Amino acid sequence: MKFFNTILSGLMGALLPFAAMANEAYEGDMNPADQWDRLWNTILLDITVIGVIFGVAAIWMMVKYRAKSPDDVGSLPKLTRAQTMAWIFIPCALFLADDLFLSAKGWSLWNVYRQVPEDALEIKVTSYQWYWEFDYGDGIVTEELTVPVGKPVVLRMTSEDVLHSFFIPEYRVKEDVMPGRVTYIWFQPKKAGTTVATCTEFCGTAHGNMYTDVIAVPPDDFTAWRVKAKAEAENES
Amino acid sequence: MSTETETFNWKEWVFTTDHKRIGVLYLIGSMAAFAVAGVMALLIRIEQSTLGPTIIEDGTTYNEWLYFHGAAMILAFLIPGLTGFAANYFLPLMIGAKDVAFPRINAFSIWLFYAAIVLALVSIVIPDSPDIMWTGYPPYSITTNANTAFYVFTVHLLGFSSILGAVNFLVTVIYMRAPGMGWNQLNIFVWTTVAAFAIQLVFIPVLAAAVTMLLFDKYLGTHFFDPAEGGDVLLYQNLFWFYSHPAVYVIFLPAVGILFEVVASMAKNRVFNYKACVYGGILGIVIITGEVWVHHLYVAGMPDWLRIGQMVTTLLISVPVGLIVLSLWGTLYKASITYNVAMLYAAACFFLVLVGGLTGIPLALTVVTVHLSETSFVHAHFHFIMALFAAFAMFSGIYYWFPKMTGRSADGKLAVFSFWSNVIGVNVTFWPLFIIGVEGMPRRYWDYEMFPHFEPYHQVATAGAFLIAIGMAGTMINWIIAARSGEKVGENPWKSKSLEWTHCPSPPGPGNFPEDVVVSEDWTPYDYNK
Amino acid sequence: MGRFLQALLTAVVLVGIFSTGASAAYMRQPESDIDPSVFKLDEKHLLGQKLDKSYRFSDLEGKEFSLGDLYGKPTILVLSYYTCDGACSVINNDLLDLLVLLEEAENITIGKDFNVLTLSFDENDTLETLTEFKNNLRLPKDIKDHWTFAVAPDFTHLQALTKSLGYKYFWSPQDRTFYHPGAFIFLTPKGRVSRVLYALANEAKDIELAVLESKQGQFKVSEIVNYAASLCYSYNYKEGRYTYNIPLFVAVGSLTLGVITFSGSVVFFGRRRKKRLMEGS
Repeated sequence: MKFFNTILSGLMGALLPFAAMANEAYEGDMNPADQWDRLWNTILLDITVIGVIFGVAAIWMMVKYRAKSPDDVGSLPKLTRAQTMAWIFIPCALFLADDLFLSAKGWSLWNVYRQVPEDALEIKVTSYQWYWEFDYGDGIVTEELTVPVGKPVVLRMTSEDVLHSFFIPEYRVKEDVMPGRVTYIWFQPKKAGTTVATCTEFCGTAHGNMYTDVIAVPPDDFTAWRVKAKAEAENES
Repeated sequence: MSTETETFNWKEWVFTTDHKRIGVLYLIGSMAAFAVAGVMALLIRIEQSTLGPTIIEDGTTYNEWLYFHGAAMILAFLIPGLTGFAANYFLPLMIGAKDVAFPRINAFSIWLFYAAIVLALVSIVIPDSPDIMWTGYPPYSITTNANTAFYVFTVHLLGFSSILGAVNFLVTVIYMRAPGMGWNQLNIFVWTTVAAFAIQLVFIPVLAAAVTMLLFDKYLGTHFFDPAEGGDVLLYQNLFWFYSHPAVYVIFLPAVGILFEVVASMAKNRVFNYKACVYGGILGIVIITGEVWVHHLYVAGMPDWLRIGQMVTTLLISVPVGLIVLSLWGTLYKASITYNVAMLYAAACFFLVLVGGLTGIPLALTVVTVHLSETSFVHAHFHFIMALFAAFAMFSGIYYWFPKMTGRSADGKLAVFSFWSNVIGVNVTFWPLFIIGVEGMPRRYWDYEMFPHFEPYHQVATAGAFLIAIGMAGTMINWIIAARSGEKVGENPWKSKSLEWTHCPSPPGPGNFPEDVVVSEDWTPYDYNK
Repeated sequence: MGRFLQALLTAVVLVGIFSTGASAAYMRQPESDIDPSVFKLDEKHLLGQKLDKSYRFSDLEGKEFSLGDLYGKPTILVLSYYTCDGACSVINNDLLDLLVLLEEAENITIGKDFNVLTLSFDENDTLETLTEFKNNLRLPKDIKDHWTFAVAPDFTHLQALTKSLGYKYFWSPQDRTFYHPGAFIFLTPKGRVSRVLYALANEAKDIELAVLESKQGQFKVSEIVNYAASLCYSYNYKEGRYTYNIPLFVAVGSLTLGVITFSGSVVFFGRRRKKRLMEGS
């Protein structure tokens, strides 16, 4: 048993630098969407490697160990006590190692996702069956989301009727929108252009049609848009 | 005792208390649900094959299909098929018992199950049939015009049926094992069934309570889940997944159990590291399963500590699952594998479980799920693990036990052709969904005009769905033909060492075993290589 | 709706009556004049609203501080005014009563778990009126130290704050009093509105739950009992207070039922098998 304890603690020890590495990797670059892509690539690599190892092993055994004659039986030896323990603790340690590695990476990016920058532009989102309303706080209320490029934007969301979920695939963010509760997401548009925000919590008949444009414009254009939108809003009221 | 009755007497089936007949009834009922829900799946895929309306003009019809497809596949096909059919027919045989502990309660369970199937089928044809998805989240399920009550009562009937079944089978395994049979001599399938029923027994009451309160909210004006009047809008989701994530293991575990039976019998090998698989893997899952439900609510505004905490517990599931997978893979090592249709399906399961399991890892990470949740990626992931893996394992089991149930073999050209149609079809259908899921294609969309560039992927997926439809139809036709006129094979065509093959005729008569079964201390059901 | 609106109305009326003091000559029937819903903050749209931490106020000693200095733990914000004779400020008195009860219950502690801030929305309030007002309240020592009373040296800060809250108040020359919402506004450690409760409608328990809720799941291990207890309640918008989260109890009951059925059958039939095998051998 002592032998396996040594192996186990050795493996756990080897993990710590990994966890530390995972934390370091995210400093400097603060755009969450880019970091998400990087994490995704890491995970994709991780699961592909595991998948290929197990897949190849399965194919190899399935081909190699075909029955030679109908009366053949397999010859898997009975495991000794030490082998049994080894086949429990070593794989468990490896699985745990991978879990811990991924948890550490996932956690550090999660912290980025939850810590809204101080200077973020705040927009209030209210969802209805089946559209969104964006309130910029100065009388501007729109049904499309216009945001400035390069500035963090935080959406503070609540629902007027049923559950919805606000999803901008381009910016890798999503959070449910609920009546009686407030949720938030933040993102930072990198380049100008129009993308889609869409509902991802089943909300009834037109759930599949509940989407809107997210228009990222250069900061100057955004200021101009805001002035114009405000004037229009005042004219109407 | 095993004289065949020449004339068909329906009373002997309707009022039967024989676990084997009840098992067959479960099989027929769950296959009926599977067929109807499968047609729904095909309709869903056809609707998605083109941008904009294809065969319907609005989303409600689509949502009703989706509701039925989800609810029927999970609640009326997978769970009753695996725990109802397979456990009923084979669990008593595997432990050398003459019947289950409470045969009459067992008969009552099957009546409840059929009542539920009828109710579910009726719910398709009524006006305003449920459109609330199988999850039934409030407030939508309360504010909708649709008849949420059908959903609630279906869950009640199936839940009650499952609870009775769970008590019955737990007691059967505890009390009715053949003399001499210790816990380490049980078939892996028996263990997985015990685990699945333990989960059902503990967690179903929570789901039943949750949907009952939904019913009260909708029809009796209570406000259990209405945030405006003191209700908690998120609590339903928590309660629902508190049962429904464990329900994934209620499906996964018996499926894996069947796989072990087939693989060990066809590979003529002992199960690799049996104790690790049972005590580490199967029981490990039972212990962790109650602490992972929040990964279904990663984007539902739960407190951050809970989302991070359950990310860790969810990832931890990889440890017991890993142990089971190792045992499964190890059972092939130095084996002597005979390939037949049962083994083909089992072999396919090795790869389905890999894809389904590994794509679950990104979904366990809270921050990755922020992008992937409720997309086609999730849709493809859980279809691989729950629908495809579990259904293929069940089909593998049906081919494996077909000679036991009928005395005839179901292997043949049609069986092999259907297998390949199925296995190619599922991959053609679901891989494109992984791809567009990562790109942002949401689930449960009857139309996707905001993502026109996904149309080709949807078309490939729809083509795959037709391959599956051909394969499934072929499989069912094959079974029906084989049951009447398949090649007669002996009592133990696979030369298995498990009790249901070695000690009783095919098909087993009333009382199962011609002589009382007693097993020796060194007997195991995987006794191929001493 | 009954109980809550009644309380709201009472609060508004009492605020009016007490501030007018004995000058009953001016007393009319405020109920008939004032629609109480005017004094209800639009909580649904207010939740999550961030109060700018740069707003500056000055406390009793004349020391200036910014709102952000209080952040880091939940804050109960009360808007009030100080120039009233004796019986004034039902709101502050009500809050004081509740805080005393909380001190006795010892679940959460003012200063450690939360701060209290009373701000004046009356431009004419000065440090003198403030001092007199605070003395009249007769705060116990431990509460006194952590309850900040402040005025706005730059009144635009106060105006910006009330505007962002949608807090409406007005001077009634006829009644010689301010009419205003009798609200306790709960702020999260980051200065966002997490809950609005109304004076005279609540018990100490509601204050405690609102404070715990304001922590937004950020709690220390030692506070786990408090946190767990807070899950038993959920906020009732209609009644404006916390009510039991019944589905949770139902669910825990069902789970217990499941566990009992499971362990019951395992233990009972396990024993029976042993007995049977012993008799058989």
